[in-house]
Order: sequence, then C-alpha cells, then structure tokens
Amino acid sequence: MKAYATKLIDLTESSAEKIAKQWAKDVKTNEKTKSYHGAAAERILLQATEFYHHFREMFVHDAPYRQAEKYFEHYAEERYREGIPLHEAVYALILMRRHIWLYAEFQAIFITAVEHRQAVESLSRTILMFDYAMYAITRKYRELMKLEWFEAPNT
Amino acid sequence: MMKAYATRLIDIIETKSEEMARRWAADVRKNHRTPSYHGLTEEKVIPQAIFFYTHFRQMFFTDNPFDTAKGFFARYAEERYRGKIPLQEAIYGLILMRRHLWLYAEFQTAYVTTVDLHQMAEGLNRTILMFDYAMYQITEKYQELISQDVDRKLGVIKTLRMEDPAGGKQGVFKTGLMGAFLLVACLLTYYYHATLGVGVIFTHLFYIPIILAAIWWRKKGILVALFLGILIITSHALFLRGVPFADDIIRASMFVLTGYVVARLMDGLKKVEDMFRTLTT
Repeated sequence: MKAYATKLIDLTESSAEKIAKQWAKDVKTNEKTKSYHGAAAERILLQATEFYHHFREMFVHDAPYRQAEKYFEHYAEERYREGIPLHEAVYALILMRRHIWLYAEFQAIFITAVEHRQAVESLSRTILMFDYAMYAITRKYRELMKLEWFEAPNT
Repeated sequence: MMKAYATRLIDIIETKSEEMARRWAADVRKNHRTPSYHGLTEEKVIPQAIFFYTHFRQMFFTDNPFDTAKGFFARYAEERYRGKIPLQEAIYGLILMRRHLWLYAEFQTAYVTTVDLHQMAEGLNRTILMFDYAMYQITEKYQELISQDVDRKLGVIKTLRMEDPAGGKQGVFKTGLMGAFLLVACLLTYYYHATLGVGVIFTHLFYIPIILAAIWWRKKGILVALFLGILIITSHALFLRGVPFADDIIRASMFVLTGYVVARLMDGLKKVEDMFRTLTT
C-alpha cells in the first residue's frame, strides 16, 4: 500500500504550492464556501500548503486515525477561531482532497494497469483518512461550540 | 464504461440491501465512534441503512447529484438530529454505510482487468462525490436545526428584548415605556415618602424597570438603576428626616447590583449569540 501511494504523495508534496493555489482560487469563488470569499489569498493559501505538506505523514502512518485526529483537530480549531461555519470548513477540506486528484489526473500519473491499481489503492487510503477527518472535525467543532446552558438539547 | 460497473454495483446493493444493512447495524451498534447507536434496537437502526441503499441508484445516476442528494441527506440529518444522535456520529454512521457497501461489493466481485480497475476507480469517484455532498449537506442541516433550537430556547428573552431587526420603532417604544416607568417611580416615591412618610415595599416595583433596562440596553441600562438609587436616597434626605438612611442605601446598592448583574448576563448572551450565528450561517 505504501509503495502504491508513493507516487501520489510525491506529487502532492512536490506540487504543494501549485495545488494550494488552485484550491485557493476555487474556495474563494465556490458558492459552498462563502466565508472564504473575502479572505486574503495569502492567509488561506497557508491552510492548504500546510495540509499538503502533512499529507505524507498522515498517509503512510501506521495509526492513521491518531495522526489525522491531531492534525484535523488543529484544523478545526483554527477554522473555528476564524469564524468559518462547520459545513464550509468541511467543504473546504473536501476541495483540498479533490484538488490533489485533479492535479494528479492532469499530470496523468496513473496510466498502466499497475498504475490504475495504485490509483484505486491511493484513493481508498485517501478516503479512509478523510473519513477520520470528517469525524474529528465535526466532533471538535461541537466541543468548541458546547456552551452548557446554551447548548441545544440533543447535539 | 462507468455505467456498466455501476450497474453491477447497484444490482448488488439493491438485491442485498437488507443483508448489508444488517452488517452495518451490527457494526454501528458496537463501534466506539458511534456510542449513541449502542442502545438502539436493530429494528430502529436497520431501516436507516435500507433506506440509504435502496435510494443509492437514484443518487448515483442523477445528472445533478448535489440537488438529488440534498433532499435525501436533509431527511437523514433531521431524523438523526431528532433521534438525539450527535453530528459526528451521524456522519460516521453514514461513512460506515459507504464502507459496508464497498466491502460487500468487493466481496461479491473480482476486479482483475484494467477495464475493471478503471471502472472501479470511476465508481469510487462517483460514490465519493455523492458522499462529499452528503457531508456538506448533513453538517449544514444540523447547524440549521441547532440554530432553530437555540432560537426557541431564547424565545422568552428575545420577546423581552423587543428587538426590531429593521430598527427604529421598537427603540422609541422602549424609551417611551422606560420614561413612563421612571415617571411612575418618581410619583410613587413622592407619595410614599412625602405624603405617607414611610419607605415601605413600593421600591420592589423598581426592579421591573431596572431589569428591563439592563435587558434592553445592557451596560447603558445600569443608568436607570443609578437614577432610581439616587431618587430614593434624595427623596429620603428631603422627606424622611430622622429616619435612618441604612435601609435606603442598601436598597439603592441592590438596584445597581441587580442592574449590573443582568447587564453582564445580557452582554455574555449577546456575545455567545453572535458567535453562534457566525458559525452556523
């Protein structure tokens, strides 16, 4: 699995800035991430470059959940402090993942049968990581929003 | 190409939806990330997955996956919310539905050729797209439902606050009403102190304008408490000569203290409310 994924990780790491720029452009115009529209490009670029640089670490770790939990809780806390609504923070992260794939497809790194298998394996591994991310982010946001008597009864 | 693979996948899902739902239910009822499902009966849990699996074809093949998924996942979110399932668990429950779908599909079919693998990657991408929309829609719907609940909880305070989103008339009304309260307070003070020569319980009525002013104007509202405190002490000095000041000084201090406490509470509430609005809309 780790060997299969190397190609994608290498590409993500070496092209972190380029992918981050494409993501920033998307998030600043996407109608599902309205809170990002007015944000300075330099500030939001950091979110994506940081994520792409941490990608290898999370991807190849033996305990992906623990590794992802740490990173995504930090991501959730930062977005929360910036006043980004949860559904937008979640969607911005989804776009980060999509831009890795868009870039990889554009670079045509998966052509042969073996590479196709690598693509499927990498995709499965990325999705596993994002499953943990979604869980960790929504849980962290809810923790941060928990305001005792102000809390809605069933959340 | 993708359709051929997808048809195979969907045929499996539709014919085996109950079987997959049972496996999912067994998982979600013991998974440490979904503790809210642990106490639920199988009969209550299984239909959630059956509903999802039987609607999968419709969401998978639509030309507009976002809009098609919206209705389905809004319903999913609302049902889980009413069922008191925390958001992260509702999300993880759905993730497990997808995983069981894939586990079952992989178990049932072999992907050997390049075409098979390509179709599989395409099918995966399509499913992921649908789930991306699901995550967005479910979190958005939960936030909306929480916001509605908070609004309901704040109902009484909101009524008392008499806020007019358009501004204007409510402000004039509040100022007028407060003016009337203060006039009545002055008349009562004069009547009790000057005419009857006593300083009995009428001052308890002063808490009504003090609390309302603090709710309406927060810290600025403390001025009303100060005014009423000065009023009773001045009136005492003018009309109740020979009667000790201690009681009225305590009363005046309590006015200011009450106004201050309510104003601080309203300040805190406003800050929390503003933050909540920002994070949910």
